[in-house]
Amino acid sequence: MKTFEENWTAWLDDELSGRELLEFEASLPDKTAAQAEKAEAKKLGELLKRELSVHRLKNEEFFSHQLREMIVQEGGEQGRARGRRSPTSSWWTIPRLLWAGTASLAVFLICTVLVLHQERPAEESQYLTQILNARVDPVVSPNATVSIFEVKQDRATVLWTEGLQSLPADYAAK
Amino acid sequence: MHRVLAVLISVLVVTMSSASASQAAERVWSGLVMAENVTDPHQIPSELTRIEGLLKRFFGYNDFRVIGQSQKTLKTGQEDWLATSKFFALHVDARGETRGGYVLNLKLYKEKELLLETETKLSKRSPLVIKGPQVGGGQLLLVLVVQ
Repeated sequence: MKTFEENWTAWLDDELSGRELLEFEASLPDKTAAQAEKAEAKKLGELLKRELSVHRLKNEEFFSHQLREMIVQEGGEQGRARGRRSPTSSWWTIPRLLWAGTASLAVFLICTVLVLHQERPAEESQYLTQILNARVDPVVSPNATVSIFEVKQDRATVLWTEGLQSLPADYAAK
Repeated sequence: MHRVLAVLISVLVVTMSSASASQAAERVWSGLVMAENVTDPHQIPSELTRIEGLLKRFFGYNDFRVIGQSQKTLKTGQEDWLATSKFFALHVDARGETRGGYVLNLKLYKEKELLLETETKLSKRSPLVIKGPQVGGGQLLLVLVVQ
């Protein structure tokens, strides 16, 4: 036994026939209003069929649609991969700061070494001991002379005196 | 990656700290050395090993004996000290630190008699040798080395 709603739906869809149709129409309280409602339902159905039918894609639209889908898909995968590598993806993370600092120090050291290396020939005399002045007591050793030798081979400086008063061997005592 | 970073930073820190530590204090060795020619020369004193070739070649002696010495650690560059033997005294008066060395005033005394005076900029990398008076068959040398 069908319910009224089932019979109503079937009547709207013109699926009732024969005795079933006669009985259902006889059971309607206001047949004119029901017919009007049926006509409205049909109109709505046709409108929906017309507007919601599957819109077939043209070739160009199909390919561009496919490309868009691929781009969206790849973008999503890359985003997920980045997310896995660094959950908080900010450029100045602590490891990157450390790397930047270390690299800067290394560059600084290399530059320092290079600059010092370039300056070395010009400043070579600074690495040798320099005699600023020298004097021998003229009373004790009136004929004494003083000479200066920079021995680059040994990186040493020699102050050479001549004519100092000679002393007996006893003076060599500790 | 973190390990590599840690190693790099450690190396840099150690390098920088050792560099600054090496500049902290210098020790100056000053010695009165008797140079002679003998048939059986002694082993050269360790302080003179660095300039053994220079001493032998330049002064023509084969034996070097320290008759007086002094070691001084320079902290301010204003220190003064004395290296003495029985008859000689070398007075060293540091008058400040310069780039790469120290300015020193040196005075050689024979007992209380001033024989020689000189002012020098002693380099940390370059020893100074002063030819003193002839003593017997040998030669008195004054040597200053930053160790």
